Amino acid sequence: MARLEILDPTVEARKQPLTYVARPDSLQGKRIGLVENTKFNSDRLLLKIGEILKQDYGAAETRMWRKHNAGVPAHKEILDEARGTVDVVVAGIGD
Amino acid sequence: MPPMTTELASKRFAVDDLTQAMDLCFEKGWTDGLPVVPPTEARVQAMLDAVALAPDKEIAFITNRQVGVTAEKVAINAVMAGCKPEYMPVVVAAVEGIADPRWGYHGPATSTGGAGVLMIINGPIGRRLDFNSGDNLFGPGWRANATVGRALRLVMRNVIGTLPGQLDRGTLGHPGKYTYVIAENEAESPWIPLHVERGLSKEDSAVTVMAAEGPHQFYNQLSSTAKGVLTTLCDDMRISGNTTSQPNYVVVIAGEHMQVIAADKWTKADIRTFVFEHTQNSIAHLKRTERMAGAIVADDEAARRPIVAAPEDILVVAAGGRAGAFSAYIPGWASRRTSEAVTKLINDRRA
Repeated sequence: MARLEILDPTVEARKQPLTYVARPDSLQGKRIGLVENTKFNSDRLLLKIGEILKQDYGAAETRMWRKHNAGVPAHKEILDEARGTVDVVVAGIGD
Repeated sequence: MPPMTTELASKRFAVDDLTQAMDLCFEKGWTDGLPVVPPTEARVQAMLDAVALAPDKEIAFITNRQVGVTAEKVAINAVMAGCKPEYMPVVVAAVEGIADPRWGYHGPATSTGGAGVLMIINGPIGRRLDFNSGDNLFGPGWRANATVGRALRLVMRNVIGTLPGQLDRGTLGHPGKYTYVIAENEAESPWIPLHVERGLSKEDSAVTVMAAEGPHQFYNQLSSTAKGVLTTLCDDMRISGNTTSQPNYVVVIAGEHMQVIAADKWTKADIRTFVFEHTQNSIAHLKRTERMAGAIVADDEAARRPIVAAPEDILVVAAGGRAGAFSAYIPGWASRRTSEAVTKLINDRRA
């Protein structure tokens, strides 16, 4: 027979639905948003990706935003502007 | 809001004895590598009673992790860390500190930069609970310092999911990630306590949390002037952290240096101003030493880059042993955009 009980110190993360919008069939003529995370050279990397998307995939234009820092999601102004001005967004994180 | 409950909701595990309980905590991955005190209901309840919080009271919500940190989970981890119940208000305030948006949990907790959470205790609670502010300041031997910092790290691990190799990606980390708690030596300090400089009253108790590298000790066994001691400090400190944009530094002034600096009537504000002005690097030096990109241009020899944005970002703390001409500085993690030191009032019910 058990002589003592101990309590679980851990928790499960709160469940939240995550849904993805449908990916476009083609980038032809699409406006590309680039979300830069402030890490060194991330702007140059994204601009290069943007150039490839224009030259090789027919994207119409690119526009870049800069997050407050790498540790937070894109802030409201970025999301609001992106909704009205671009069709696709490229973002990422890395060192 | 739903009414708070008094029942402990955590899953229970039955074991035969204390040894089996400690082994189970290892097997489940709930420890920092050291044995823990088994969190029984009676011990956890005593923690909650010490702060008069219902178990389901949410102390913090970590947005990036979508995790609510309840009083019950903080209490369980505080028991495991070896805290006395009377330490619980300090642990709660520290959890509030790292959940503050200004501290910015996701960055410092996760980064390859490997920050620990430096906790600086101020006010009456530091003396009442015997937090060490003197000899062997960053070393072992004091239960309050050892277990309060450990409790916070266990909360980060077990509740917020900050697991080494997963969402704690520190390249090197440092020993302060086990515990990293000091108190200011207000009894012997000639200066205004840190928490008072940061807006609280002398009678308040507070904890300041800062995402931090390990302590860097410096020597000056020669000088008998404030300027002399601090010149040595600045020469050591100038090349530290990432040299260009730390959010904060802590400068810990220990006994002998404290006496020397105080004899010259320098205040903490004087120390901050001197250190800010004398820790700036030339752009040319940063480029020559491959800390900044680009070729050196004519203005780079004269152009200066401070290590923090303003003198106020340097937190001066009086602490450490009376004997020995040593003090220390501690670089904060990353940049002002990402994390800054946060001071939280400790709800010290006995004060």
